[in-house]
Amino acid sequence: MNESAELLLDRYEPHETGQIVVEPQVTEARFSPCGRFLAATGFDARVRLWSITGEKPTELPAIVGHNGWVHSIAYHPTESILYSSDSWGQIRATRLTDEAPQEHWTCPTAHDGWIRQIDISSDGNLLASAAPDRDICLWSTRDGSLITKWKGHDEDIQSLRFHPGGNLLATGDARGLVKIWEFRTGKLIREFDASSLWLLHRLQDVGGARLIRFNPIGTQLACGGVKPSSGGTVQGEPTLLVFDTETSELKANLTFGVANDCYLQDVHWTDDDVLICVTSGTPGAGKLIMRRIEDEKAFYETTKMPNCMSVSLLSESSDPRNARQSKQLAVVTTNRNSNGNGRRINKNGEYEGNNSPIFLFRLGKKV
Amino acid sequence: MTIKNMNSRIAIPIVTACLVFWVGFSSLSVFGQESLHARIDRLILERTGGEVSHKSSDAEFLRRVSLDFVSHIPSAKDARSFIEDETPNKRQFLIDRLLADDRYAIRMADVFNVSLIERRSKHEEWINYLRSSFSSNKPWDDMVREIVAPDSDNEANRGAAFFYTARLERYGQNPPDVPGLVRDVGRMFLGVDVACAQCHDHLFINDYKQVDYQGLYAFVGNTVLRQDVKFPAITENPLLTKVAFKSVFEGVEKMTGPRLPGGPEIEIPEQNQGEEFLIPPDKKIRAPGVLKFSPIRALSESLTRSDKPEFSKNIANRLWWIMMGRGLVEPLDMHHSGNPASHPELLDLLAREIVEHKFDIKWMLRELALSDTYQRSSIQPTDIAEPPLAASYRTALERPLLSEQWITILREVTGEATTDPKTLTEWQARFDKIFANPPKEPELNVAPTVKAALFLSNDRVVLSWFDRKDGNLVDRLCKLDNTEAIVDEAYLSILTRLPTVVERTDMEHFLDKFKGPREKSIGQMAWALAASTEFFVNH
Amino acid sequence: MNPNSSLCMPNEHRLSRRRLLGTAAGAVGAFGLGGLLQPAVANELSKKDKQVLFIWIDGGMSQFESWDPKPNTLFGGPFRAIPTSVPGVHISELMPQTAKQMHHMAIVRSLCTQDNSHSAGVARIQRGDPKNRGVTYPYFGSAVSNLLGPGSSNLPSYVWIKPGSGGFIHEDAGFLGPKYGALAFGDGKPPENLMRPESISESEDEARHQLRGIVNAHYANRRRPVVSEANKYVFDTARTLMHRRELFDETAFSERDRERYGTHEFGRHMLIGRKMLEAGVRFVKVNSYGWDTHGDNFNGHLSLMPKFDQAYSAVIEDLAASGMLDHVLVIAMSEFGRTPRINGHIGRDHWPESWSLAMAGCGVKKGVVVGKTNDKGTFVDSDPLDIGHMFHTWFRALGIDPNETQFSNAGQPLPIAHDDLHACEEVLA
Repeated sequence: MNESAELLLDRYEPHETGQIVVEPQVTEARFSPCGRFLAATGFDARVRLWSITGEKPTELPAIVGHNGWVHSIAYHPTESILYSSDSWGQIRATRLTDEAPQEHWTCPTAHDGWIRQIDISSDGNLLASAAPDRDICLWSTRDGSLITKWKGHDEDIQSLRFHPGGNLLATGDARGLVKIWEFRTGKLIREFDASSLWLLHRLQDVGGARLIRFNPIGTQLACGGVKPSSGGTVQGEPTLLVFDTETSELKANLTFGVANDCYLQDVHWTDDDVLICVTSGTPGAGKLIMRRIEDEKAFYETTKMPNCMSVSLLSESSDPRNARQSKQLAVVTTNRNSNGNGRRINKNGEYEGNNSPIFLFRLGKKV
Repeated sequence: MTIKNMNSRIAIPIVTACLVFWVGFSSLSVFGQESLHARIDRLILERTGGEVSHKSSDAEFLRRVSLDFVSHIPSAKDARSFIEDETPNKRQFLIDRLLADDRYAIRMADVFNVSLIERRSKHEEWINYLRSSFSSNKPWDDMVREIVAPDSDNEANRGAAFFYTARLERYGQNPPDVPGLVRDVGRMFLGVDVACAQCHDHLFINDYKQVDYQGLYAFVGNTVLRQDVKFPAITENPLLTKVAFKSVFEGVEKMTGPRLPGGPEIEIPEQNQGEEFLIPPDKKIRAPGVLKFSPIRALSESLTRSDKPEFSKNIANRLWWIMMGRGLVEPLDMHHSGNPASHPELLDLLAREIVEHKFDIKWMLRELALSDTYQRSSIQPTDIAEPPLAASYRTALERPLLSEQWITILREVTGEATTDPKTLTEWQARFDKIFANPPKEPELNVAPTVKAALFLSNDRVVLSWFDRKDGNLVDRLCKLDNTEAIVDEAYLSILTRLPTVVERTDMEHFLDKFKGPREKSIGQMAWALAASTEFFVNH
Repeated sequence: MNPNSSLCMPNEHRLSRRRLLGTAAGAVGAFGLGGLLQPAVANELSKKDKQVLFIWIDGGMSQFESWDPKPNTLFGGPFRAIPTSVPGVHISELMPQTAKQMHHMAIVRSLCTQDNSHSAGVARIQRGDPKNRGVTYPYFGSAVSNLLGPGSSNLPSYVWIKPGSGGFIHEDAGFLGPKYGALAFGDGKPPENLMRPESISESEDEARHQLRGIVNAHYANRRRPVVSEANKYVFDTARTLMHRRELFDETAFSERDRERYGTHEFGRHMLIGRKMLEAGVRFVKVNSYGWDTHGDNFNGHLSLMPKFDQAYSAVIEDLAASGMLDHVLVIAMSEFGRTPRINGHIGRDHWPESWSLAMAGCGVKKGVVVGKTNDKGTFVDSDPLDIGHMFHTWFRALGIDPNETQFSNAGQPLPIAHDDLHACEEVLA
């Protein structure tokens, strides 16, 4: 291990501080930028909320009013507002407080169907959303009014991200085609070929451009998902393709596991260019990996948590009075033995579902 | 010195003398006992339950035994000469000539290759191993020992490892088929299929227990494909502990060491770590090493012990199936107390005799060929209401041809003369595609397919063999004087017999009515005979 | 000897179209049109007209993402339910085209079967999971082929349009014997060597096959029938297929049809299947593989269901429009459903406990849902139906009474469906 990797571990090595077991399953958990809240979304149409300022997280009343699955959430960069979207096409903005959340605005039919991703622009004014109805929409975060929308892909859109610069929006579709738009005009700027993240297996389009991330200065665009080897029960290597934003040239092709490890589910790109990634594969298979692009391998990796669905990083507080003097990490995982054919009945004779333990970590050397 | 390289002037009389002596000898054994084939016939006749077919005609017999022993259709000339030959015991002489023929080994290699490998894949060294084994009439127990515990240092026999490697190779996304290997050791060498006893005792067959599967697994489960050599080869990891298993129904954990179904468990000797090898593997030169305790060596010894009746019954049953078209125990890999042989006394007799004759395959095949049962016609007795049951052997059963036989005999009868190895390989592959089963589907019965019908009807290459070409069948037929001669010669060449009066009339009618060049009509008549059921089966 | 005598099968007679209509190729004989109106013959006719389209979705289609959605429930998944052309009946939003055809269909939501494995389950379902009598029961296609005989076309009676390779799948026939196996066309393509080579004219071809028939008749005389019959059957089938080459001609489909059914393999195969039905094939099986979504089930169904929706709704629409739906029984099913519980790979596992299938056509009620599951979709909340019940139901829909009709296994009579079960009257017209 070289010196540089040691330093990285000094900054990022995770130490578990606790777990929140959430039932039913959630697929995404995010810290609020202010560091007061943790929100998690999942299968029961609610957004679960915890206050994390105390010793242990305390659950707050959940955000209700969604339908189906709440699939994507995003925070306003400065105000305590959480935006959430669901699989029936609703987008909602909620003001977070230390008590019950307050509805800010809702747009019940923002899309026809499963909103895959929403993102907030860095100035906090715009919300972008996309869904398999192939609409790319921009909304005002103030009141949820539609600013513009256009269709830009021939396949279902699976991912979306604002460019940190403030003019551009990237979208990615089910066949691995990623496009960058100048969102004010809807003009297509350039395309990126992430089609190795897709496979047509028999009838099924497997994989796709599942996540898009930019580095902090926006010179690199990363697209992640799986490099599929088969459909049905998807198998394939979790993969992240890194492109030069300007030239759309592929700069790096990072693999995070083997065929059982399947999807790269989430990536956090830190300010110092560390990629914190999680994978979820066949039931039981899950990884938390930390690496830099240019290194040959990861400087941290653990397979202790099954089926890791999302990773959220909370930076240290800049306020020296704040106890939060180290980075924190929240990883959504799934319980062990989550799969099985046929019935599994618990002691009360009920058919059980699964749950999502959210692992909480403090990162870095003990202060 | 073999008969082949003796001076022919002394060879022929010696051969004849030997054959005469042998003929006299074979009907009585040294102790004046009934011959095996006579005893076979007696036991069969005891249970026929009805009238039996008459003996096969000479033509029928000639074709059948030629296909069975040398995969060859006699020329019209040879057919005519055999049919007209008035020598008594000419059938016995024919049998012995065929068994001494070089092509016997090729034919038997094909039969055993298809039975043991079931079309998974091919390897030249395996075929060569089989051919040389049958050429020297290697006893079956020796063969099984060489197959089950292959010796990669013995260049002549190392191809035998293909039995393992064909199953341990990866095919596309399929992993090594260790359960298939376990199952097939039981099926091929003991006649028991313990596949359905992997996870629990067999649900319907009381005799097949989970421990039977797991005991076999303990023998072969540690074999590994060797990747470092080009010839088929395996290596073995040490077996240190018993195999643990648990029925999915009972959940009680049990253990077993290597154990043949129904047999005693073999004790696994204590092996200290680092001391499992007699000759340790050498990573530098990639030598696999020799184990002190080798489960597959133990398997080869246990399987072939003469007090193991399943082993001898299995080969007796399979040899019977090869010649008669049906096992005394059916299916061939389902020997158990709930599935008795159709003729239990006969099976016991055959099993005992093959042990006494030290697993001499050729000897057994000869006895079977000499029996009336084998030589019965496939034409049913007259005036019977329903076809006799196959297991009664009242009438000979029609048997399938292998795709290897197909291409040989079709080329033979049409006089197709290409010798270019590349072309022949291509054609064999084509015929395999049409006539061979997909991998792991045993080829047991006559199973005509639409694919084959279309192939025979429309394939350009096959049809070209019925065009007139210098020296081929159609050419020869065209050169004959009259229609009757043409029809007779065509029947003799293709169906190895003369036509009946009615058949002659039908063919002459066809030839006369045909509007087109004579050679075309002759070619199409020849095709009709070659595409017929009669040609398609071994009857 | 009459060279055609080998065509006579003493224990079954066939009313070939040629004999019925008295065209030149066959003898007109005593079958003038008047004779056709006798009741026995009319029954024969109506019985022979019934056909089956069996759509097999291999791997287990999720009933949550198709016929029995439970939106906004614990296990319901992300998708919504949409109304259909039958008021009060909703199916998954992933099947908008099929929703418009609901008034032709019947959905059964209360299937509860025994086997949750593919390897055994597929065969068990398609064989009707009858009582174990130590014999291998035929697949539904082989059974129908045996009980109803070939259609009026002389085409093979059990045809399978499938992805991958084709061939003759004799194992499907079980104890009925290889003749009732499935003739599979890989990717709907014709078998190799279907074309008569140019070097042989049509009349020469006819003549040489007739000669072959004569040779075979001589051979068959006094020999066991089984081999001769099997060989005759395959050659007859081969020749029938050669004369019906147009069945495989995909260029003959209209652009509109190809778009409606979809240019993916399932759409193409369904279109060929429809053509086979139109040609009079008795039992057509069309299948799709790759539905075993233990992982990424929702993206999987999001991608797969529209293709099913497209092809299925198109064929229902077309069969209804042409009137064929009156005598064609259409069944769409898998070997089981999928678990309510969503596993860590965001997938669903196998679930035979409560699942659905869809039917339409001959003998089936229109626009109904039979049976239901509880609110969460975990278990059946009405009389559970096993596959044996369905076999009873399907035979009845085809005009076959399982209490009166039996198979003959070399003389041994065997029930055609599980003896202890019965038809689901609710779904029968």
